[in-house]
Amino acid sequence: MKKPFYHYITIGIVLLYLLIPLLGTFQYSFATSWHKTILPEGFTIKWYVELFGDLRFLKSLGRSLVMSLGATILTLVIMVPAIFSIVLYAPKLEKMIQSLIVMTYAMPGIILAVGLIRAYSTSGISMVLITIGAYFVGILPYMYQGTRNSLRNINAESLMEAAEILGASRYTAFQKVIVPNIISGILVSSLLSFSILFGEFVLINLLVGGHFETVQIYLFQKLSQSGHIASAIVVCYFLLISILSAIMIKMTRKKKEPV
Amino acid sequence: MSFLTIENIKKSFDNETVLHSLNLSIKEGEFITLLGPSGCGKSTLLRTIAGLIHQDEGKIHIDGKDVTEVKPKDRQVGMVFQSYALFPNMTVQENIEFGLKMKKLDKETVKQNAAKIVELVELTGKEKSYPRELSGGQQQRVALARSLVTRPKVLLLDEPLSALDAQIRKNLQKQLRSIQQELNMTTILVTHDQEEAMAVSDYVYIMNKGQIAQSGTPHEIYTRPVNEFVARFIGNYNVLTREEVSNLFKGEKNFKNKMYAIRPEAFSEDRILDGYEISGKIQKTSMLGNITRFELEANHVSFIADRLHKIDEDAQKQETKTLYLNRKDVIPLS
Ligand SMILES: Nc1ncnc2c1ncn2[C@@H]1O[C@H](COP(=O)(O)OP(=O)(O)OP(=O)(O)O)[C@@H](O)[C@H]1O
Ligand SMILES: [Mg+2]
Repeated sequence: MKKPFYHYITIGIVLLYLLIPLLGTFQYSFATSWHKTILPEGFTIKWYVELFGDLRFLKSLGRSLVMSLGATILTLVIMVPAIFSIVLYAPKLEKMIQSLIVMTYAMPGIILAVGLIRAYSTSGISMVLITIGAYFVGILPYMYQGTRNSLRNINAESLMEAAEILGASRYTAFQKVIVPNIISGILVSSLLSFSILFGEFVLINLLVGGHFETVQIYLFQKLSQSGHIASAIVVCYFLLISILSAIMIKMTRKKKEPV
Repeated sequence: MSFLTIENIKKSFDNETVLHSLNLSIKEGEFITLLGPSGCGKSTLLRTIAGLIHQDEGKIHIDGKDVTEVKPKDRQVGMVFQSYALFPNMTVQENIEFGLKMKKLDKETVKQNAAKIVELVELTGKEKSYPRELSGGQQQRVALARSLVTRPKVLLLDEPLSALDAQIRKNLQKQLRSIQQELNMTTILVTHDQEEAMAVSDYVYIMNKGQIAQSGTPHEIYTRPVNEFVARFIGNYNVLTREEVSNLFKGEKNFKNKMYAIRPEAFSEDRILDGYEISGKIQKTSMLGNITRFELEANHVSFIADRLHKIDEDAQKQETKTLYLNRKDVIPLS
């Protein structure tokens, strides 16, 4: 069926609306100067050279990676086996997990941050660790949903029973039968969690702020200094997220098609 | 000598008793069937034997060993689930080898045993396929092969054929029976399907509400139901009260039991010496493939009678038909 042309017009307008700022940012990050003309006066990669030459940027990038990856891996290692055990062997506890997850939505970032500062600032525990803890809780819903759906899809309970009757211990059965079947679902949730954390600003800024500069904080400070460099950061960030999304899409696709 | 013994097994779920002090004993190499209505506890019993459910009371012995407290992985039983539960991340070959690898056998033995079983269940050529690439019947055979390959002491089958269509089911029943006999594998099959139960097993156990209602060879079960439940459950028995049988066979007074059962095909159109004679009015005639079923009424008692289908069917509605019945075919029920 041929679609009427105004469909294309609408889609085109929406796309333009979404893409122009990106395109603008992209050009600005390569522009020599861009004040009175419609298009930039010239192109250069000097902003990128400057950006990647800045040790502060590289360090903040490293910190962001460590924070987001750390929290994601921590959640992965602790929560996947926990959710697995609860769903299969203690289904009554699942209600508790669910209410825990609703609570994470009910808590706006600012309130969470103020609460955490009041509770822990005098405790002597590094606020960086506290932030990772908060991240852990923050990405719980994604991990829970992802793990649980994957477990349901593969009918984990009967797979476990089959493996146990065939002589596998629960640990071996989990490792050899369950994990390989839920891994793609879990990786997707992990990537999603990672990209959410990587872009997180409110908590990290309020809890540790200038002591522990992450990419988001660095970007925030550069915004007032050089628009070109800020644009370059956004472009890099956008690139990273695009790559992650592409991987996610590819992984969810692969699951459905027969190999 | 009993190979698998189940003594006084009791199991309740949230105050609902599912198994009532159930006893069962099976000889080595026997093929028995658990037959019963939905929800009577068949799967629960099977899962208890496998150790997936822990009974509240009672003992289970396999091959002279008390396995009541043994974990499923050490019980040496095999189980095929209704949903097959094949491992989707593994090929047919890997699925079948799983149990052998868990036993930590050396590579060569694993390979040889797996190859033998693949041949036995006729899956040659499918070794590299993944479960999702197989038909239902093939998946079922992989599930069977995966359980057989470890040579379990007891093989438990929970409605393994119920998801398949009639044709494949019949073939697999035959195959299942011949594989079971070839390996002399002690086997318990759970099924809803009476024909299946009768066709494959040495003994049939009819279960009702968590108890064994009757056990016996298929022939005994079919021809001699001992109580009302079995009579109603098996075949299409006419189940009649004492008053009804007395009315049906006018003049006969010596019926002592509360209930009686009569097989519809026991009625004959030819005179039987020293038998009962009944004249019934035909209420309805139906064709069931090779048999014709008459619904009749005699002395205000309704009953059904079957007879082999004849080409020139002549019976009309309201027509009276005279039938004869052997005395021993009126089976008293307890
Ligand atoms: N895990 C459980 N928790 C609570 N009740 C259960 C559980 N498993 C089984 N039951 C109950 O035990 C009874 C027997 O169940 P079971 O699965 O053994 O029946 P079945 O004879 O196998 O039936 P079907 O032929 O439909 O498979 C049912 O009433 C069921 O509701
Ligand atoms: Mg069942």
